[in-house]
Amino acid sequence: MSKRQLAMVMDLNKCIGCQTCTVACKTQWTNRNGREYMYWNNVETYPGAGYPKKWMELGGGFDAAGDLQDGVIPNIEADYGVPWDYNYESLATENLLGKDADKDGYSLLGAETPGLHPTTEPTWGPNWDEDEGAGNFPSDNYFFYLPRICNHCTNPGCLSACPRDAIFKRDEDGVVLVDLDRCQGYRYCIAGCPYKKIYFNPKISKSEKCILCFPRVEAGLPPACAQQCVGRIRFVGFLDDEESQVHKLVHKHKVALPLRSDYGTQPNIYYIPPTESPAKFDAEGKIIEGSTRVPMEELEALFGKEVHEVVKKLKDEQVKRKETGESEILDLLIAFHHSDMFRLDNNYYQEVAKAKGANPLAPIDTRYVQGKNTKVVFGGGHH
Amino acid sequence: MKTLKTVLATSLVATMAMANPSITAIKVDDGVDLSKVKADDKIWSKAKQADIALYPQTTIKMNDKNANEINAKNSAKEAKILAIYNSKDIAFKVEWKDTTDNTTNAASSSTEYADGFAVQMPTNFSEPKKLPYIGMGSDGRPVLVHLQKAVTSHYEPNGNKDVSLQVNRHQTNAFEKDLEAYDKNVTDAAISDYQRAYISEGFRSMTQIRDKDIAFNMDMSYNIDTWSATMSKSLKDSYLDLSKSGAFPVAFAVWDGAKLGRDGIKNLSTWVAVDFEGKKGNEALVEELTKKPEGDAAAGKALVDAMCASCHSYADKVAAMPTMAPNLSNIGGYSTEAYLVESIKEPSAVVVPGYNRNAHKNTAWYTVDAKGNRASTMPPMMSDDKQIADAVAYLMTLKAEVK
Repeated sequence: MSKRQLAMVMDLNKCIGCQTCTVACKTQWTNRNGREYMYWNNVETYPGAGYPKKWMELGGGFDAAGDLQDGVIPNIEADYGVPWDYNYESLATENLLGKDADKDGYSLLGAETPGLHPTTEPTWGPNWDEDEGAGNFPSDNYFFYLPRICNHCTNPGCLSACPRDAIFKRDEDGVVLVDLDRCQGYRYCIAGCPYKKIYFNPKISKSEKCILCFPRVEAGLPPACAQQCVGRIRFVGFLDDEESQVHKLVHKHKVALPLRSDYGTQPNIYYIPPTESPAKFDAEGKIIEGSTRVPMEELEALFGKEVHEVVKKLKDEQVKRKETGESEILDLLIAFHHSDMFRLDNNYYQEVAKAKGANPLAPIDTRYVQGKNTKVVFGGGHH
Repeated sequence: MKTLKTVLATSLVATMAMANPSITAIKVDDGVDLSKVKADDKIWSKAKQADIALYPQTTIKMNDKNANEINAKNSAKEAKILAIYNSKDIAFKVEWKDTTDNTTNAASSSTEYADGFAVQMPTNFSEPKKLPYIGMGSDGRPVLVHLQKAVTSHYEPNGNKDVSLQVNRHQTNAFEKDLEAYDKNVTDAAISDYQRAYISEGFRSMTQIRDKDIAFNMDMSYNIDTWSATMSKSLKDSYLDLSKSGAFPVAFAVWDGAKLGRDGIKNLSTWVAVDFEGKKGNEALVEELTKKPEGDAAAGKALVDAMCASCHSYADKVAAMPTMAPNLSNIGGYSTEAYLVESIKEPSAVVVPGYNRNAHKNTAWYTVDAKGNRASTMPPMMSDDKQIADAVAYLMTLKAEVK
C-alpha cells in the first residue's frame, strides 16, 4: 500500500459515450511506437463484449483466499482489434466512377475492387458492439457506457504476477507503473490483471499501461482523459485529502463504488452507478411507472451489493434537493465549474522532488536503482 | 505391493548408477577468434560432445492459463554441448531438438513467443557444495546469465534517442516515396539481435547488465527440427574470471515458443562441471558435480513421503496446496546433491524467491526480518546424515524422462 493514493471517480449518469477521453489518451500516449492497438482509456457499452473482447471472462485477480488466479492473454487481432487503414493512395489513380462504383464512388464489390475500402477486412475492434446493449427494443432494451482506465489498484494483479519485479506502485501517489528497464515482455501481468488494462507492446517487447498521466499530475494538471471529458464525469484527487471531491464521494457520502471489487485487487477508480435509466414500456407501448431499464442485478454484478444502497441514496438525494434545495452530493456531482472536479497538489510533488533530489519521480523502480550487482542498472540514454 | 517395491527399487538403482556427465573444454589455437565463432565453423570438430539433460522447470507454476495447460506434462530434452577455449575466450555450442522454429519480430502478436537459450555461470564457485541456486542464483550467491532469443527485430524504449522514428507512419506527413523512406529508417533503427547478459541473486532480482565491461556473443540458427546455438565470452571480465580456474560450473536453459515458453516456462539443466583440458585446479568441483548419490533411494522414498509430502508436491504426491512450497517433481533433474543436503539441513541457507509474496500470501515460502534477511518457513527436517543421504538419493530420482 502506498503512502497516498490518487483516485478517480466517474459519474456513469453523465457519460455520453463520446470517446473524447479515449481520443485524448490516444493522442497523448498511444498513437505511436507499438502502442497503436492499445486503448489505455476506452469507453465500452455495457452490457457488451467490451475491450478486449470478453475481458471479464479472461481470469486474473485474486480469489477469496487472496491467491492470484491464472488468466488468459488476449490476442491483438482477435481480441483487441488492430487499427485498419483505407486505400487512400490507390484512390488517386483509380476510376472511382467505373462500372463497379456507386454514384458516390464507393465500391460495390468489396475489397478487391476500385473504390474506398479497408486494406484489411476488419473483424473486431474496440467499441465494436457500441450501443447494442441488451433487452428488446422498444419495450425494455438498455445499455450504458462504461469508461475504463487502469484502476491503479491497491493490490494490483499485474504487480503480483510479474516474476521480474518490473511493476511497482509509487509510494507518493499509488500510481502503478511498469519499469521498462526491468520488464522482459513475459506478459504474466496481462494474465494477472482481471481488467486487462495492461498491454503488450510487441515493438519494444515490453508491457505498457495507463500511467494516470503522472507527468501532468505532478505538474498539478488532471489526467488528459479527465481534462478533456465533455460530460464532466471524472473527478480526480487524493483519497486521503478530506477536501477532495473523490474523498467526499467515496468515503464521506459513500456513493462511488469500485468496478468488480470481487476480483480482490482493491481498485482505485470509482463509479457513480447509473441511476437515471428510462422506464420500460408495456406491450401497448405505454410507460410502466416506476420501472427502470437497467436491471439492478447487472449493477450488483459490476459494483457489488452496496450498489442498492448507493442507488437509493442518490434517488433520496434528488428528492431532498427538490424539497429543500440543498444537497452536497448533487452539488458535487453537478460540478458547476470543471475545476471543481480536481484537487491535485503540485506543491506536494515539488516537496517529494525536493526530498528525493534530482530526477525524483522517474518511472523506474527505486529498489533497483543502486544496482546491487551491476555498476550501471540503467543507462545508455534510456532515461 | 512387494513386487512393486522391488521394481521401484531396481529402477532407482538404475538411475543411481548413472553419474552426472561433465563437459571437457578442448583447448584450441589462439589464432582462432572464438569471440566470433558460429555453429557451423569447422573448429567444433575438435570438441568433445557431452549430452546434458534439460528438465522442465516445475518448481513454481506461472499464472498463464493456456501455457500451463500446454506444459502440464513436459518431458526432459537432451542438449548436445561442445566447449572449446583458448587463452582469451571460451565458447559453447548447444544443440537441441525443437520441431518448430518460433522466431518473432517487432510486428509479432501478443500471443507469440520466441525460442531461446541461456547459459548461466556462478560468479563465485570456490565452495563446490555452496553453488548458487539453479534458478538464477540466490542471496549472496550471484550468477551471470547470458540470454539469446530468436527475435529478429525489436526496439528499446527511447534507446537511441530516435523519438521521431517512434511516430505512427500515418502521422508523418509523408507520402509514397517519403513514407517508404520513413519506413526504412524505422526498420533500420531496430535492434536485430536479442542478446542480453544479466546478473542475478534469485530470479526476481535479475537485472540486465548494460555496462560495457562484459564481452560476449551469442547466435542461434535453425535447421531441420534443431536449433544450433553458440555462446562465447571472454575468459575474464569484471563479473567473472575463469582465466585461473581448472574447471567451473555452467547450466543451460532452452525455451520453446510453440509452447508459450518464456521466463519460468523452460527446460533447464543442473550445474554441470566444465573441465578445461590441460588446466589444473577445481578438481573438487568436478568431483562434486559428477559423483553418484550414495544413499539408499528406496529408504529415502519412505522418509520423503513421510516428512515432505504435506507441503511439497512431487511424482504422484499432490496432497499439498500447489503454492505451499517448491514443487519437487523435477528437483532431481536440476539440483545438485549438495544443494538438496544443504536445504534439508539448513533451509534458510538458500531461500528460493518463489511466488510474489502478494500473489500467494497465505503460503509464504519465507519470512523477512527488519533488515531484509529472508528465513525459509521450512524447519530443518532431518539431522541424521544417513537419513539425509537416503532422502537426497531419492530426491535425485525425481525428474521427467528425456524424450
